[in-house]
Amino acid sequence: MKIFFSRLYLLAFLALTAGFIFLIWNLTFGEILEEYHQRKKATEIVKDREQKKKKREEITFQKVILEGDETVKHYLGYRILQEKRIEGHFHHIDFDVGPDKINYCIECHGDIPHDKVKGIRAFGNMHASFIACQTCHIRLEGVAKSGIFKWYDRTTGEIVASPVRAGVQPGTYKAKILPFETIDGEPQRIDTQDKIDFAREYEKNEQSLTEVQKSKAKKIIHKQVSKKPYTCADCHQREAPLLSFEDLGYPKHRIDTIVSTEVIGMIKNYTQLYIPRLLDPGFGQHQSKQ
Amino acid sequence: MLTYQTRRSILLLFLLLFGMAFVSAANSESADVGNCLLCHKYPGLSRVDEEGRFRLFYVNEDIFDKSVHTRVKCEDCHTDIKKIPHDTPKKVDCFVQCHIVEPSSEQKFSHKEVAKFLAASVHGEVAKQGNPKKHPEDLPSCKDCHDNPLYRPLSFFKRVRPGISETAMGRCRVCHKKDDFIFRFYNHVTTRLHKIRNPKNIAEVCARCHDDPELVKRHDLSTRAAYSYGETFHGKAAHFLDERIPDCLDCHVKRGESVHQMLSHNDPQSITYKTNKAKICANIECHPKASPKLADYKIHAEFNFEQGTAQYYFKIFFIALTGGVLLPMMGIMFLDVLRRLLPNAGLNRKK
Amino acid sequence: METHFKIKVKNGKKYFFRFTVNQRFQHILLAILVIVLVLTGMPLKFPQAFWAHQIYSVFGGIRIAPFVHKTAGTMLVLLFVYHLIYLVYTFYQGQVIPLKKKNELSIGKILKTLISHPIVPNLKDIKDILNLLKYLLFLTNKRPEGAVFTWKEKFDYWGPFWGIAIMGSTGLLMWNKELFTKFLPGELINFALIAHSDEALLAALFLFIWHFYNVHFSTSVFPMDTVFITGYLSEKMMVEEHYEYYKEIMTASGYPHEILPPHGVRKPESEHGAVRDNPVKLTDLPRI
Repeated sequence: MKIFFSRLYLLAFLALTAGFIFLIWNLTFGEILEEYHQRKKATEIVKDREQKKKKREEITFQKVILEGDETVKHYLGYRILQEKRIEGHFHHIDFDVGPDKINYCIECHGDIPHDKVKGIRAFGNMHASFIACQTCHIRLEGVAKSGIFKWYDRTTGEIVASPVRAGVQPGTYKAKILPFETIDGEPQRIDTQDKIDFAREYEKNEQSLTEVQKSKAKKIIHKQVSKKPYTCADCHQREAPLLSFEDLGYPKHRIDTIVSTEVIGMIKNYTQLYIPRLLDPGFGQHQSKQ
Repeated sequence: MLTYQTRRSILLLFLLLFGMAFVSAANSESADVGNCLLCHKYPGLSRVDEEGRFRLFYVNEDIFDKSVHTRVKCEDCHTDIKKIPHDTPKKVDCFVQCHIVEPSSEQKFSHKEVAKFLAASVHGEVAKQGNPKKHPEDLPSCKDCHDNPLYRPLSFFKRVRPGISETAMGRCRVCHKKDDFIFRFYNHVTTRLHKIRNPKNIAEVCARCHDDPELVKRHDLSTRAAYSYGETFHGKAAHFLDERIPDCLDCHVKRGESVHQMLSHNDPQSITYKTNKAKICANIECHPKASPKLADYKIHAEFNFEQGTAQYYFKIFFIALTGGVLLPMMGIMFLDVLRRLLPNAGLNRKK
Repeated sequence: METHFKIKVKNGKKYFFRFTVNQRFQHILLAILVIVLVLTGMPLKFPQAFWAHQIYSVFGGIRIAPFVHKTAGTMLVLLFVYHLIYLVYTFYQGQVIPLKKKNELSIGKILKTLISHPIVPNLKDIKDILNLLKYLLFLTNKRPEGAVFTWKEKFDYWGPFWGIAIMGSTGLLMWNKELFTKFLPGELINFALIAHSDEALLAALFLFIWHFYNVHFSTSVFPMDTVFITGYLSEKMMVEEHYEYYKEIMTASGYPHEILPPHGVRKPESEHGAVRDNPVKLTDLPRI
C-alpha cells in the first residue's frame, strides 16, 4: 500500500515537473520567441481588422450586452459599475436580464430581429425583450384560441409568477410573455418541446439539407405564423386588449400607462406613418434589395 | 422650401415650448421633462442600424441621475427631437449651448471651450504648422474618451465606507432646504476635488487608441503608451486601484491646465518636452526632491528591440539566465523523479 | 564558540552535525523574508494574473503591501550585511588565526585557503554532476559520493548570494531614485527594474521548485528534512548525499566499522532482506 502511494506520488510529481518545464519555457525562451514573432507579424494586423467587422447575424442583444468583448468597470468609490462597452455609446447600461434559452426563433432571427420598418423597429425589439415572438406573430383563431398568456422564465423555461407584480423595473424582467393554445380542449403552451427540437435540429443541419428539404422544413416551422401579426393597437387599447394585463400581473397604474392617451396617441402617429407599409407583403424584401 | 414667415413662426413656437419646458424644469426633480423615459426606460429598446452597428436607446435613469448631466434635459443635447414620436435623430453635438446657466459668467453653458483646447492639442486635426494631419479619422472626438461622467464624491475623509458623507450633507441642510439641490451640489463640488475617473479607468480610455498596434504604427508612435505605463510601478499601482498614483493626464498636461490641451512631446510648449519634463517628476506632490536626471528614466519603456538595444539585450540576458539555469535543473529533477519511480531499471546491474 | 559533536547518537540512530544555531537562525530569517518578498512582489510582476489581487490584498493592497515589501527588503539587506561580517569573522577565526599561529600568514596562503574552502565550487562538483547524470540516466546504480557540501548545496548558497546582491542593490536604487539620480543617469532605473523583476522570477522559481523539491518533496525527505531546524542530518541522507564526507567523519569519530554501504547498494550480509535496513545491535539500545 505504502509503495503504491509513493508510486502514485512520484507519478504525479513527474507530471508536475513536466508542467514546471513548460511554465519556465513559456516564461523565458518561449517569451523571447513569441516577442520575435510578434515583431514580424506587426504588419499583418491591418488585414485582420477588416475581418473583425461583425456580420449581421452575429449582432444580437445577448451577444452585445451580455457577452460583449469589452467589459468596463467604473470605480466610483462607493460602488463599482460594471458593464459591457458599446463603442461610441454615451449613456450607461447597467442591467442584466440573462439570456433567453427557450425561445427557438432567436436561433435564426436573432433577438433584435425587427430592422426593416423604420420608426417602429426599436419598439418591436423592445417588446421582444419581454414578449415571446409567438405572442404577436401567431394569430390563434377558432378553437385553438385560448386567450391565455403566461410568463415563462428565460433560463429554465418554466411558467413563473408575474415579475411585474413583484415590482421589477419595467422591461428588466427575467421572464417573457407566452401564448397558450387550446388543443383537445386543454390549453397548453405554444412552444412544445417537439417544435423546439425540430427548429433546433433544422438550424444544426441546415448546411446539409437540399433546397427542397429546407423549404419544407421552414414551412413546418412557420406553419402557425400569420402573415399579418398583431400590431401595437391590439394591446394598447382600453376596450379589449389582446393581452389581459390584470392576469399577467400588471397593477392598475401600469395598465393606465400602457393604454394612456400618450401611448395610444403616439401609436396612432406611428401607424399613420409606417404601418400601411408594414402590412404591404414584400416590403421587407423590396427594401433589402435596394 | 419654407418661407421666412413660417420658419419664424416655427421658431417662435419652439421658443415658447422651450420656455414652458424651462419653467416646469425648475420645479422638477428629474431632467426628463419630455417624458422620454416613457419609452427609453426599456432596456430592450434597440436595433441594428444600416451600417450593421448595434444601437441601444435605453437610458438607465438611476445611473443618469448620478451623472454630471443629471440636470440637463434630454432635448438639450438631442436638440433636433421636438416631438414624440421622433425620427432618427442627429448625432449629439457636445458643443451645443444648453439651458444650464454657468453661475460665474451667467452665460448659457457650453463645452465650446473644450473644442478650442482640443483643436490646439496633439489630438487636433490640424498640425501646429497649419497643415492637416494624415488619417484625421483616427483622431479622437468627445465620445472616444468620454461616456457620461458619473459623480465620484470625495470619500477619503469617511472612515467606515466610501461614498457620500451624511454628516457633511447634514451640515449643508442647516442652510439649504432642497435635498435634491444639496445632493447635486455636494456631488458636483466633491467630485471635482479629485479625479472623476480613477487612474485605471483613464489608462483604459487612452489604451483604446494608444495600445492599438495598427494606430500606433500608422501614426508612427514610439510606444504602446498604456501598455508601457502598465509596466511601470505607476501603472501597476493603478491596476491595484491606487487613487493617488499618477495616470496619463497627470504627466501629459501641465498642472492646472485643461486636460484637453495635450501637446506632443516634440512641442517645446509641452510639459513632456525634453527640457520641461523634469518639472513633472519634481512636482511638489510627487518626487519633490528629484533631480532633473530622474526624468531621463524611460517611463514608456517596453524593453523591446525598437526602443533601444541596450535595455533589450539586458532583458534578454536575464531571461536567458533564468531559462539557462532553471531548465537544466528541471531536467535533473525530472530524471530524479523518474529514477525514483523505476529504482530497479538500471542498465548496469553489477555493483 | 559553540562546540559540537560531529556525530550524535540518539535512540540508536546516528545524526550528523551540519549547521550551527547562528546559521540556522540566519536561514530561517532568510526563508521568511524571501517568502514575504515574493508574495508582495510577484503580484506587481504579474498584475493581470488571477491570484494577483487576492495575494496583494492579504498584504494590505497597494497602500500597505509596498511598505511591507520595502521593510522585508531592508531586513534582508541587513541580514546580508550581517552574513558578510559573519563570513569574514568565521574565516578570520577559523582559517587566518591558525595560519598566524603557524606563522605562515601571506596573501597567497589566504587566497589558497579561500579557494579550497568547502563551500567554494571546484572541479569535483562538475565530476559529481556528470556522475549524477550517469546515475539518473540508468547508466549506473552508483550515486556520486558527495563531499561536505554537494554541488546542489553550493547552488543553494551562491544562488541566493548573487540574488540578494542584485535584488538588494537594484531595490535600493529604485526605492531611493531621487537620491541616486543626483549622480547617476535616470535610465539606470530602467535597467534596475529589468534586473530586479527578472532576477526575482529566477530566484522565486529556483527556491520554490528546485530547493523545495530537494528539501521537502523528494521521497527521501518528504514532508521535510528537519536539518534546518535541528542542525543534524540523518544517517540515511548522509549516505545518500555526502558519502565521501560520511566515510571521512565516521572514521575520524571512531566508527570505522559501522560505515554503511553507499546508497542503493545492498549490504552483503542482508541478502534475504532479513535485517536490511536497521540491524538492531546491542550498542544501539538506549544508553541510560
